[in-house]
Amino acid sequence: MQSLSATSAAGVLLDLSGVLILLLSFACLGSKLFNRYLAYYGAQSVVLSFAAGVAAYAFGSVELWILAVATLAIKGIGIPVSARRLLIQRLELKRDAALSTGLSTSLIAGGALTAFAYLVTRPQLLPHGLVAAAVVPLSTAVILLGGLSMVVRRHTVAQLIGWLIVENGVFLGAITLVATFPFIVEAGIFLDLVAGVLIMVVFVSGLTRRLASASAGDLRELQG
Amino acid sequence: MIVLMIVAAVGPLAGTVAAACGARGRLAGWVASAGALISLVCAVGLLTAELHRAPLRGWAGYLYLDSLSCFFLLTVATVTLLASVGSVAYLSAEQDAGRLSAFQVRLYYIFFGLFAALMLAALETGNLGLLFVLVEASTLASAALVGLEARASSLEAAWKYVIISSFGVTIALAGTLFLYYSASGLHLAVEYRLAWPYLFSHAHALAPGSLRLAFMLAAVGYGTKVGLAPMHTWLPDAHAEAPSPASAMLSAALLNTGMYAIIRFLAITHARLGDTFPRAVLLTFGFLSIVIGVLFMIRRGNFKRLFAYSSVEHMGIIAVALGFGGLLGLYGALLQTLNHAIAKAVLFLTSGDVALRYKTREAAGVSGLLAAVPVTGGALLLGSFAVLGSPPFGVFLSELTIVRAGFATSSPVFPLLLLALLAVAFVAFARTTTGMVTGQAPADDPVGSPYGGRAVRLAAAAPLGVGLVALLVLGLWIPAGLDTVIRHCVAVMS
Repeated sequence: MQSLSATSAAGVLLDLSGVLILLLSFACLGSKLFNRYLAYYGAQSVVLSFAAGVAAYAFGSVELWILAVATLAIKGIGIPVSARRLLIQRLELKRDAALSTGLSTSLIAGGALTAFAYLVTRPQLLPHGLVAAAVVPLSTAVILLGGLSMVVRRHTVAQLIGWLIVENGVFLGAITLVATFPFIVEAGIFLDLVAGVLIMVVFVSGLTRRLASASAGDLRELQG
Repeated sequence: MIVLMIVAAVGPLAGTVAAACGARGRLAGWVASAGALISLVCAVGLLTAELHRAPLRGWAGYLYLDSLSCFFLLTVATVTLLASVGSVAYLSAEQDAGRLSAFQVRLYYIFFGLFAALMLAALETGNLGLLFVLVEASTLASAALVGLEARASSLEAAWKYVIISSFGVTIALAGTLFLYYSASGLHLAVEYRLAWPYLFSHAHALAPGSLRLAFMLAAVGYGTKVGLAPMHTWLPDAHAEAPSPASAMLSAALLNTGMYAIIRFLAITHARLGDTFPRAVLLTFGFLSIVIGVLFMIRRGNFKRLFAYSSVEHMGIIAVALGFGGLLGLYGALLQTLNHAIAKAVLFLTSGDVALRYKTREAAGVSGLLAAVPVTGGALLLGSFAVLGSPPFGVFLSELTIVRAGFATSSPVFPLLLLALLAVAFVAFARTTTGMVTGQAPADDPVGSPYGGRAVRLAAAAPLGVGLVALLVLGLWIPAGLDTVIRHCVAVMS
C-alpha cells in the first residue's frame, strides 16, 4: 500500500482535518440549539470532503474524488438543509435541542471518551510508515463522540445526526488510512447511509403524527 | 453453479416484484412462497454440489461459497419458505379483519422479499466490506416490516431497531477497517485484502494488535445484529411488534446471518491468535446473553416478548458453543443454529395464529388452546418443548453436544452453569406456554377460524407441521449429508 510521509503537505492537511473534525464533534455534542447542531454537522462533513479531496489528489484516485464530491453534496449540504426544513418548518420543532444529562456532564464524558480512544489505539497497532497515524485515534474518538451524542440527545432526529457523525468518523478512518478501500464497498456504504436516512425520516414523520412529538424521551411504551 | 447461487439469492424477489406490480395480497403471497421454494431447492442443490468440490469463487472474491455458506443458506432459505407460507395466512386474515389495508399488505410483501434476498446475498459474498453493506441494507428492509402496523408501539420498536442496529453494524464496519489495517503488511492486491478466503489463508501474517481490536469490534457490532447482551435491547420490542411471520424471519434468519458474520471473523482470529482471546470474548457475551434472556423470561407478559428473549438466550448458547470451540463445540453451534431456527419459526407462526384468534398478545389472556384449537395448541406445546431442548427434538441433541464440548475443552464450571441456566429457562418458559395451552377454552369466545378458505387454512397449518416433523427427524437422526456438511464447516474453520 502506498503511504504518504507524515510531513508531506498532504499528511499535514489530513492531520489538521482530523483535528478539526474532532473539534466539530465536540461542538455538536455541546450545542443547545438545533440550528447550531445541524450547522456543525454540515461543517464537519465539508471538512471531511476536503480531506477526501486531499487524499484523492495525493493518491491520484478518481474514485476518491467521486466520494469527496458525493460527501460534500449529500452530507455537507443536502442533509443539513433538508433536516432544517423538515424540523423547523414541517415538524415545527422548538429550537432547543434537549439533552438527557447536563451540558457539562456530556462534555466531560466526551473528553473521557477521547482520552480512552487515544489509550486504546496506540501507534504500535498499525504497520510502520503509515501516514497520518494521528488520525486513527481521532477517528475512533469521533465514532465514540457520535455514539455519545446518540445516547444523550432526546430528539429522534438528533439521534439520527449522531449516527451520521459516527459514520463520518468511520469514513475519516477509511479515506486517510486505507485510501485504497475498494470502491464498491465505499459506494455501498454511501447507499446504505442515504437509504438509512430516508427510512429514519419516514419513521420520524410517523412518530410525530402518532405521538405529536418525535422526542425519544416520550418513547416509553415498550419496557421490560 | 454461479447461476444457482444467483437464483438462490434472487428467488424471494419474486414476491417483491409481484407486489410492486399490483398483485393483491394473497396472490403476492403465493408468488413469494414459490420464489422461496425455488431458493430452497437451489440451496439444497448447492449444498450437495459443494460436498464434493472446492469452494466456489467468482468476481474477484465478491462471490464466495463454501460449506459454511451453504449450511447457512439452507437454514435461511428454510425459514424464508416457512415464513412466506405463513405470511399468506396471517396477512390475508389481518386484511379480512380490516386491521391492515391493502397497501400495507403490498408493502409487506415488497419489503419481505427484499429482506430475504439481501440476507441470502449476504451469505454468498466473500468480501467482508460487502457483507457489512448487505447486512445494513437488510436491517433497513426489515425495519419497514417492524413498523408496518404503524401503531405508536410499532413505530417506537422500529425506531429503536433501526437506530441501535445501524449503530452496531457501523461499529462492525470499524472492525472491518481494523481487519483491513492488519492485512496491510501482506502484499496482496487491493481487492483481496477484504476477501475472506485470502485473509484466512494468510492469517499467520496478520498484525495481532489490530486483529484483536477488529475481532472485539466485530463481536460487539455484529453481536448487536445477533442480539447478544448487552446489545440486545432492540430485540424484544422489534420481534414483538412485527407481524408474526416477519418476527419469525427476524428471529430465525436475521440473527443467524449476524452469527455467520461473527463466525467468519472468528475463523480468522482463531487462525492467528489461537484459542484464548476469542474464547474469552465469546464466553463473556454468551453467558451474559443467556443470563439476561433467562431472567427476562421469568415474567409473564406478552408471549411474543417471551419468544424474543428465548432467542436472546439461544444466541447466547450458540456464542458459548463457539467459545468452547473444538470439533464438538463448532458442531454443536451449527446444529443448534439449524434446530433453533426451525423451532423459533414454528413458535412465532403459532403466536400469529393465537394472536389472530384471541386478539391479544398477552399470555394472561390466552387459555385453553388445546381444547379450542387443537392444531395450534399442539403446535405451541410441542414447539415450546422443542425450543427448550427436550428430547426427542433436535435442540436436545445440539445442546447435549455443546455441554459435552464444554466439559472437553474448558473448566467444568461453564457447562454446569449452562445446564443450570437451561433448567431455569425451561421452568420460566414452560410456565407461560403451558398456562396458555391448558385450561378451559374461554366461555365468551367464538375463537372461530379467522381464515377465509381452505387454501389459507392449509397455509396456516402446513409450516407448523413441516417444521415440527423436521425437528423430530433432526432429533432422532442426522442425515448423512448434513453430517458431512457440518464436518466440512468445522474443518473450514480450524
